[in-house]
Amino acid sequence: MLALFRLLIFGLILLTAVYFGLSWYFRSERRRRMEHDWEEAGRPGSREAYVEAGMEQYQQSLRRRLIWLVYVVPVTAVIVIIYVTNYT
Amino acid sequence: MVYVKWGFWAIFWTVLVAFLHYTLPQHDIVRVTDTYEQRIEPGDNALFWSNADTGNSTQATGRDVFFIQSFRSNEQPMVYRNEDTGWGWPPYFKFDASNLRAQASDAKTNATGETAQWVDLLHYGWRNEFLSIYPNAVSITPVEGPDVRIIPWFNIVVLVLLGALFWAIRARWKRFWRTREDWAKDEWNDGTL
Repeated sequence: MLALFRLLIFGLILLTAVYFGLSWYFRSERRRRMEHDWEEAGRPGSREAYVEAGMEQYQQSLRRRLIWLVYVVPVTAVIVIIYVTNYT
Repeated sequence: MVYVKWGFWAIFWTVLVAFLHYTLPQHDIVRVTDTYEQRIEPGDNALFWSNADTGNSTQATGRDVFFIQSFRSNEQPMVYRNEDTGWGWPPYFKFDASNLRAQASDAKTNATGETAQWVDLLHYGWRNEFLSIYPNAVSITPVEGPDVRIIPWFNIVVLVLLGALFWAIRARWKRFWRTREDWAKDEWNDGTL
């Protein structure tokens, strides 16, 4: 059973690192785009407020939630491989 | 210096291609002639044997390993080991070595020609006589005959996804450094610092 726990623990650590990495990357990309948008839109009002409003929207977005696929896809793949290798 | 650079990339790509060639599944059309088990004490070649923790002790150095001996469609002999990979690498999650041996025994045939039972034997790994290493059989599927052509969809998908991932990272890497160079450049210098 030790091997299973080793896989689970190292897998969890790796996927969590990927999750936070992607999450940080997408957020910084978004922030940069919002700053760019603000200039394109003719600098309406405060830059901070504009960017924060955009980031608020991003927090609710489907795109941000899709990062959970980092966990879902590998676990599903493992289950499918176990089934295909051993039961078909 | 340019030779060091070329040498580095040559080694990098050789290792990567060898790794993928070893790890990704391959199909062989074979007729199984026998299955056997043999005592194995892995030494310098231990890297090419799996010692999966699937309930039994992994402390013992020597153990019995199942083998499947066969002839490929070009009538060259090929011997596969039949070992569990368990939860370890490569991620085939194979726990049914004993069942696979039963299927392989069931597919046994010594006859060439019309009556031979040909099977598609999925495996990974390399056969090398000098190192005494064997590819690991993963599954057996009966097929029509020795001339069946199997398209490796799984490998195509994996390689395309890997290529896409490399490309995505490479593009961002390049862009990152290009932006840095642009920052370093202003009316006072030419960017060389």
